Amino acid sequence: MADIVRKQMVAVEGATVRERLQAMDDSAVVTAFLGGEERAFSELVTRYQTRLLNFVYRTIGDREKAEDLVQEVFIRVYRHLHRFDRSKKFSTWVYTIASNLAKNELRNRSRNPLVLFQTVQKNFQDEDRPLQFEDPNSRPDDMYRKRHLREIVEETVAKLPEHHRNVFILRELEGKSYEEIAEITDCNLGTVKSRLNRARTSFAEIIAPYVD
Amino acid sequence: MDCREFCDKHVAFVDDTLAGIELVRMQRHIAECEICARHDSRVRRALLIFRNLPTIEPSADFSQRLEARLRNECQPAELFANTQRNLRRGAIAATLASAAMLGYIATTLYRSDSPRDLVMPPVVASLPEPELTPITTSTPAIVTSVSAGLTIWPAALFAEQVPTRFAHSKLELANYTR
Repeated sequence: MADIVRKQMVAVEGATVRERLQAMDDSAVVTAFLGGEERAFSELVTRYQTRLLNFVYRTIGDREKAEDLVQEVFIRVYRHLHRFDRSKKFSTWVYTIASNLAKNELRNRSRNPLVLFQTVQKNFQDEDRPLQFEDPNSRPDDMYRKRHLREIVEETVAKLPEHHRNVFILRELEGKSYEEIAEITDCNLGTVKSRLNRARTSFAEIIAPYVD
Repeated sequence: MDCREFCDKHVAFVDDTLAGIELVRMQRHIAECEICARHDSRVRRALLIFRNLPTIEPSADFSQRLEARLRNECQPAELFANTQRNLRRGAIAATLASAAMLGYIATTLYRSDSPRDLVMPPVVASLPEPELTPITTSTPAIVTSVSAGLTIWPAALFAEQVPTRFAHSKLELANYTR
């Protein structure tokens, strides 16, 4: 009986801590983790896993590899969080790690064309693709059109030069400010704006025939 | 505003970060320039499509895999911490053993029969006492035999004693005057 009560109390306490962590901003969660609260790291993972996965996936175009890289991001965060400069934004730091890993992945692919071919091939297998894009209530031709459009968009993004694509995704998908993008990509504000302008224009030109 | 300036400021225009007057100038240019107006609408439409791409969710086993990797990540850290702890304990044990050994040596030395301290006698500078050479050769018989107060020394003794006595009296005199 006493055990049950104790377990319930622990559960209530755990829920309270989790709720408290959810209400905190990133900086406070990081502080909690560094203070010994292990659950704070789970909170950080929950907050960033989907965002990072989308960012990396849009950058490298391979879902499976994107998941591996996002895991690697969290491992690195876990390993080096004590060295994180808390006067800066945690999200910028995390995205910088993810961006660097994605960049390395693309660089490795360019050095090894076989890997590129395999990943591209895998990427275009239909069963690997997320299906939530389709609305089950839509008409089949509508579904086809949407899926087709999504593929075109993804292909178009993949066609952008790497440094343009990175800035483009950070801005349009992640909604980062120019300053944050400059910090993540390690370039100045003018370069960010210039790359963003070119990326937008290129993307619009490539996709225009399909949507006009 | 010309088309070049419009293109330069288009990023800020789309992101709605332009100052009021600039915004008005851009809008006026769109109204006047068909090419720029088309470019603007094309970019906005493309961005709308891109921003509405469905987000992908992590796979079901994502968290489990991450937890497993984090656990592996923790293990070397724990091992390292344990090694550190063991090393620290070893160092403490070695220090204690050394201290005990030193204590033992000190105690052994303290208890030994050899003198603890080598006490040297104080160094005192002293003048040698005047050597009053006893008159060994004179016999009481000779001394007592002279009643007038004038000692009559044997010639040989006198010859032997006189230089010494003179020298000694000079030395004494010198000491007194110093």
